[in-house]
Amino acid sequence: MNGKTSALPEGFESLAPFVEFWAADSAAGRADCRQRSDEEGRQAFYRAASPLVAAALDYLDSKSLPALDASEQRLMNLVLSFAHLAMAVELHREEEPRHARDRHFLRITRATADEPAAQTTAEEAQHATAK
Amino acid sequence: MSYKSDTRKLALPVQEQVMNNDNTLAYRPPSTEAAAYLGTGPVAAGPYYRDDYFALEREAIFKRSWLQVGHVCELPSPGSFIVRELEVAEASILITRGRDDVIRAFHNVCPHRGTQLVADACEGRRSAFTCPYHAWTFNSDGQLRSAPDFERFYVDKSQCNLKPVALEVCAGLIFINLDSKPAQSLRESMGELAGQLETLPVAQATTFTEYVYEIDANWKLTYDNFQENYHLRFIHPRSGGGGAVGPLNPFGYPERYGFHGEHRTQTIWSNPSPILSATQELAFGRLVPKLMAKGLMSSPHGREYYALYPNFFLIGNPVQHFSHTVLPISARRSRGVFRIYWVGADGSASERFGREFSMANLRDVHSEDRAVIEAGQRGLNSGALEYIHFQEQEVLLRHLMYHVNEKVEAYRAELAGNLAGDGK
Repeated sequence: MNGKTSALPEGFESLAPFVEFWAADSAAGRADCRQRSDEEGRQAFYRAASPLVAAALDYLDSKSLPALDASEQRLMNLVLSFAHLAMAVELHREEEPRHARDRHFLRITRATADEPAAQTTAEEAQHATAK
Repeated sequence: MSYKSDTRKLALPVQEQVMNNDNTLAYRPPSTEAAAYLGTGPVAAGPYYRDDYFALEREAIFKRSWLQVGHVCELPSPGSFIVRELEVAEASILITRGRDDVIRAFHNVCPHRGTQLVADACEGRRSAFTCPYHAWTFNSDGQLRSAPDFERFYVDKSQCNLKPVALEVCAGLIFINLDSKPAQSLRESMGELAGQLETLPVAQATTFTEYVYEIDANWKLTYDNFQENYHLRFIHPRSGGGGAVGPLNPFGYPERYGFHGEHRTQTIWSNPSPILSATQELAFGRLVPKLMAKGLMSSPHGREYYALYPNFFLIGNPVQHFSHTVLPISARRSRGVFRIYWVGADGSASERFGREFSMANLRDVHSEDRAVIEAGQRGLNSGALEYIHFQEQEVLLRHLMYHVNEKVEAYRAELAGNLAGDGK
């Protein structure tokens, strides 16, 4: 497990086996998880996560993003990875390997989920838009 | 090589209501009458791959047009800077927010002996910029602050500031013009479109998601892919989601075309019964209330597509409010920059999820485009085609080529005039 704990908030423990592969902490990393995944891995994560994603978002919405603890952040990263995975399982299906070949040419260079805590960026944003 | 436009009038469809078999009103493509001046004839293929034509475009278009290069949210406070490489003009541009809060653009070139001033970063925050060669140091407003042993130069310090580049902002979008005296201001060029863009979320954007790609294809061929929906059902049968195509409108015709000088718009048709996957429904269901709470779902221009000449477009839809800039590198290579603009940092897990899904969804669609565009370029490079053919829905592609060629021909005439003048 690379020394990485897989603990998740109560109610979401069943997703623990997927933390090591899928809970990447950047948008580009999560896209890469999908890129490296195989059909069996995608199906297993989708089956386990799809019934829990809405509940996980409700749970995480009860806290501010900067206040998420390590296990909650792990759950957030898993749910975000699911956003990428769902494209493969729900839309591309057997075409996913071919699709992956074209997709990796589009490099994710910035994503809002990778930005620092919301309080800091909001302050800067206010300054930027005041111009 | 010269491109001549066919000026024959468009044969307009008879305006009459057509019913589907189930008695619903059939979708009817919009009129292209306003584009009649473009003609309907075949279009020369050479401008899409020839080096000599690209060399003319470089001078006639990219060194004289307003080019979108960034957004004010990238320069959040005094001292912020970004660097943009414009290979087409062999130019590197430094854009700063000064201590006086003014955003300026400069050639990223030390006026001493031309060394690239900022070569170690493409963005950041600095109170001054120091040339790595002889330590000439400039303020963020471009003024030369200090230069070692300057007393022994034969020039006044005031002559050694950074070389400015024309810069204007519209709807938060930063445009530069490499012409030292642009023929028109940005807003003059944009006309009524400037005010429309100001109503869109991009004008309030504080952040964005970005993905970039390089492609072995001409900038126009690349850009053109995104100006028509004719290809949607063939290239995006799964990822497209049936939003802009559907049984009523199987080829995704827009509701309206607009032609605004060199710029063009279309109102994208919305399928009343789009096919959404379970996660699309979840993600957009989580995102839309956040957008509504910020008042971003009520723009009168939320279904518009804005193509700003020469190489930028923006989709008004606030749920996937994305822009695409196609930067030419050579006649047969380009770089594309997609950005999805957002107002405010992620405020909740649901908003973060909706935004990440929105990016994953669009990136999937656009990755399908890249491969087929390259295939088109390979075919054109062979020289097998003297002409290509634009269908009615491809009128926006024809419009771009028309105005590109207009500029190229004017530049040719200018060159010929200069030569004639030299010969007198």
